[in-house]
Amino acid sequence: MAGYVARRLLWVVALLLAVSAITFLIFYTLPSADPAAIRAGRQPTPELLAQIRQNLGLDEPVYVQYWRYMKGVVLHFDLGFSYASDAPVRDQILDRLPATISLTAGAVVVWLALALPVGLISALRRRRWQDRLAMGAALVAISAPVYWLGLVALYLFSKDLGRFPIFEGANTYRPLTDDPAAWAASLLMPWFVLAASFAAFYARLLRANLLEVMSEDYIRTARAKGVPERRVVLGHGLRPAITPLVTILGLDIGILLGGAILVESVFNVPGIGRLAYDAIRQADLPMIQGTVLFGAFFIVVANLLVDLAYAWVDPRVRTA
Amino acid sequence: MNRMLARTLVVLGFAVFAGAIAACGDGEDGADSGGFASGEPVEGQKKGGTLKVTSNADVDSIDPGQAYFQVTYQATYATQRPLYSYRPGNTDEPVPDLASAHPVVSPDGKTVTVKVRPNVRFSPPVDRAVTSRDVKYALTRGFFPSVANQYVGTYFGDLEGAQAVSEGKTRDLAGLQTPDDRTLVMRFSTPIGPTAARALVLPASAPVPEEYARAFDAKKKSDYGFNQVATGPYMIRSDAKGKAVGYVPGRKIELVRNPSWNGSASGDYRPAYVDRVDWTIGANPTVAGRQVINGSGMVSGDTVPAPIVKLAATRHKAQIAFSPLGNRYITLNTALAPFDDPDVRKAVAAVVDRNALQLARGGRLTGKIATHFLPPGIPGFEDAGGLEGKGHDFLAKPAGDAEVAAGYLRKAGFADGRFKGARISMVGTRDDRGSQIVLENVRKLGFDVNFRNLSQEAMLAACATPSSKVHVCANGGWLPDFNDGYAMLFGPFSGKTISPEQSPNWSQLDDPRINAKMDAAARLTNPAQRAKAWGEVDDMVTATAAAVPTYWDDVPLVQSKDVQGVVARWNAAWDLSFSSLK
Amino acid sequence: MSLTEPSLEAGGVPSSGEVVARSARQLFWRRLRDDRVALVALAFLCVLFVVAVAAPLVVDVAGAPPPERQSTEALDDFGSPTGPSAAHLLGVDELGRDVFSRVVYGARVSLEVALLSTGIAVLVGTAIGMAAGFYRGWVDTVLSRLMDVLLAFPILLLGLGLASACALGDGCLGGIVRPGISTVVFVIALASWPYFARVVRGQVLSLREREFVEASRAIGASNLRIMRVEVLPNLAAPIIVYTTLIIPTNILFEAALSFLGVGVQPPTASWGQMIAEAAPIFDTAWWYMVFPGLALLLTVLAFNLVGDGLQDALNPKTDP
Repeated sequence: MAGYVARRLLWVVALLLAVSAITFLIFYTLPSADPAAIRAGRQPTPELLAQIRQNLGLDEPVYVQYWRYMKGVVLHFDLGFSYASDAPVRDQILDRLPATISLTAGAVVVWLALALPVGLISALRRRRWQDRLAMGAALVAISAPVYWLGLVALYLFSKDLGRFPIFEGANTYRPLTDDPAAWAASLLMPWFVLAASFAAFYARLLRANLLEVMSEDYIRTARAKGVPERRVVLGHGLRPAITPLVTILGLDIGILLGGAILVESVFNVPGIGRLAYDAIRQADLPMIQGTVLFGAFFIVVANLLVDLAYAWVDPRVRTA
Repeated sequence: MNRMLARTLVVLGFAVFAGAIAACGDGEDGADSGGFASGEPVEGQKKGGTLKVTSNADVDSIDPGQAYFQVTYQATYATQRPLYSYRPGNTDEPVPDLASAHPVVSPDGKTVTVKVRPNVRFSPPVDRAVTSRDVKYALTRGFFPSVANQYVGTYFGDLEGAQAVSEGKTRDLAGLQTPDDRTLVMRFSTPIGPTAARALVLPASAPVPEEYARAFDAKKKSDYGFNQVATGPYMIRSDAKGKAVGYVPGRKIELVRNPSWNGSASGDYRPAYVDRVDWTIGANPTVAGRQVINGSGMVSGDTVPAPIVKLAATRHKAQIAFSPLGNRYITLNTALAPFDDPDVRKAVAAVVDRNALQLARGGRLTGKIATHFLPPGIPGFEDAGGLEGKGHDFLAKPAGDAEVAAGYLRKAGFADGRFKGARISMVGTRDDRGSQIVLENVRKLGFDVNFRNLSQEAMLAACATPSSKVHVCANGGWLPDFNDGYAMLFGPFSGKTISPEQSPNWSQLDDPRINAKMDAAARLTNPAQRAKAWGEVDDMVTATAAAVPTYWDDVPLVQSKDVQGVVARWNAAWDLSFSSLK
Repeated sequence: MSLTEPSLEAGGVPSSGEVVARSARQLFWRRLRDDRVALVALAFLCVLFVVAVAAPLVVDVAGAPPPERQSTEALDDFGSPTGPSAAHLLGVDELGRDVFSRVVYGARVSLEVALLSTGIAVLVGTAIGMAAGFYRGWVDTVLSRLMDVLLAFPILLLGLGLASACALGDGCLGGIVRPGISTVVFVIALASWPYFARVVRGQVLSLREREFVEASRAIGASNLRIMRVEVLPNLAAPIIVYTTLIIPTNILFEAALSFLGVGVQPPTASWGQMIAEAAPIFDTAWWYMVFPGLALLLTVLAFNLVGDGLQDALNPKTDP
């Protein structure tokens, strides 16, 4: 097991290095951004530009810049300074992280609370109206673009602009530590909007898995023994049907922690996604680099945890 | 980057600039003009409480030595005292602020002498009296590569020894001398003094304590902004060491009272009614506008979008004020064919539908159709033809004139009055609907256009870099750094400002006659002569059609019912140290 | 969700049920014919194709102005757009352009981008997946690691970054990827091929052990011939199903890029871009937000339903 973990950890590091190198290359060549010129102000003299380039290390070859950047990241967890605000990238990302975690955590709770019962009932009531209704609704939820769903939700239900003013609208985010009630109220709509398609996807998946499991031999055996259908499903079918969901849940959380750009934009939740989006708009290279690296980190770590969990459960994986 | 950025930096498009009815009572708006907020100070404004500001845009830089955006100045002028400043209702004549008297310019225009007030103190942890040396350091650090102020090069670049500072050779600017604690003498190598003296209203002249700031400025990028000390009535909330913890980029700015400020005792005219300012950044403009109008204790921190202007102007008149500022124009690159031909440029100018552009920004309330470049309120506006203009035929009809356009194209050698030739490139911004109107207009003349809709930042980079060879920039615009023709026209239209990067002269207009006329006008001290000269420069530029003047903005500002908002007209934004709660 | 598709915080592949190699063709057709929902969806898509191809005609017959015609008469004194009327069936946008006509033309962009990018992703993904699965060893290692790296990126961020980088000047890759539609297609194809490759690789890994492949190898067929004659035909079913599942995802991807401002360039109409333009005025101009969103929702839904139908019809485990 130790060997396997070590191999996997090494691969995680390699992946992050590759991601950061590619990001660096892509945005280094971004034609709209000459950070020195942006800093220099209008009609800069060539001497001033040269001086600023030297200050920022922009006069060196790209691989040297990359090397210096990675050295900072690895040795000091230093992600550099934003070109737009001059503030440290790390501090800004950490400042935004609570909002993104809040959004993700709440949405996960919502979508599991919706998906599990719906998936279960659909499987139990297969091809009856409950099933058809739930699966039809799920497919609609999967097909709706999330930002549009957000706008529609705001149009209908937000307190400031909505036709049925029930929930707090956009721009209302408050940190949990400031005011827990306001925090929850402000995030209620984003949670549901973000959760909608995930809930639908998980419900469908659970239903499909359950149906698959229910055709296995041991379930037939149980049925043949006269165990009531409800007990068959809950006692024997549910566990194996949910396990693959846990895997996907891990990966989805990893992706969302990197920032939910669309939902954060529509509801103006000051999370990492918005930070990244603004950074791209402003061609703020260090910030883009930082947020992409951060997002990749969560994805890769989520993958790692899921794989390790599998290896823990199933020793055969370790040698694969 | 120009101050233009400040105003147009509205993320979600639909920048709408409402009409300046209140300020410039011209006849055409008369019918609608009743009942909007005046934005003037009133008797007996209430003291205390918290004012909430909400804006979409962040400040360009929190460092007063770098700050240059309209949005930013709201915070900068509440926390810093430059040598001179404008009272909120008056854009004509700056008053001594940190200075104790008006600047004295020598007859040869090469020396400017300023006296600094006693009794002005820095906020903690510095907490000592300000001297003229602090002003010298503030101006000097603007030239440091680690600070790189946007405008000191333009106005103070002719100070003796300034070049050496910006090249990093010395940290002592020879042209700035402080014979005593109260006196600052500025020596220029050219007769730019009269213009430079006017530029002392900019925040680069707000004092910075060298002994405290030196360590921050010595870094590759100065972080003095995140550790700044204040001289104004407010300061960014800071911890004991002076770290400005109240500013979180992209999130918020918290202003609290500056304990070292002693108001009128140190000659400050700001009443500073509210105790605190809580400013949130990154708000969706429409939602924020609604929240301000329906909410309590709030003001808009940047441009209010069209739906909000409509809502306020029709149903909440007392909660909206309008303030004129700056101009907008379409630049035609005179260095690139076919726009090296004035007749082709005039054809484009003639076809542009300025009525549609006005509507795209929110209609008549949000501004006036421009006939030249100097906007109303800037000296020289009347000399350049006032609202009517000087009657150039290619700008005669606001809705565009296809016949005149065809005529100019025929003159340029296109026999059927339609353009034929290589593809031209045009850049607009996502946030501005007007770009697409210009695109349609230009296509009508037969142009094959490669149109790029970019983010504001990318648009600026493309238009300000001559090597990117953009023919048409649909989104030009300029805000005055101070109330003077120089501040409106020199940047965008003097041949001397063309540079390989960050060139403010997008048209690349380099006309020796115009350049010489500008240089002469910059040296004039007599206000009337100066206004006339800049008015003439304006008309000369207009006649070249290097850019098409489209619009003079009237910036809409909204406030909550219980706010007595006061507008800083020189900045067309709420004045945080004059506004109060009701 | 992350196992099978690029997460756009929403939307996506409706089911990750195991795709099983082809069953009898007749069974497939019979099942598909019996799936009325899928048939309705298919009919909708056919209509949509016709509308997209014949957009000018459709707009003309409906008596609407062309999509790029601006009209100040349709705006009020504040420049606000007016709603549905006799002259403008679905209202106008902020430049007085007809929303109906823009929604109709928007179908072109959506379908063009989604089909082109999916096509490229299928070709690249199949080729690379086959190579990895068939040759195994170091070829597999290199290709799989490449996929891992791509999959580790926060995909929307990567797309945003690439699209803005390619939107200027001569575009990316020395001018091959020009600004405009080709940029969007490139970005989406780049983001979705690894998912294809993974699926194909898995299939090939199991196929290559099957008897008919062994037999072919025994009689001395070359690798290329085995891949072409024995493996590829057996991949057809999973590829078709997976393609129908990824098309709606890619439609949403294009719309998301356009929503964030880096997709198709105006004045060309795109649904995502229209929603973005509507976002700031959604409370006063609901028609501008609602109709492009509905078009998007219905299109994606239809593709998902057809995909579902195909999958059910191809899956022998589903009882009819």
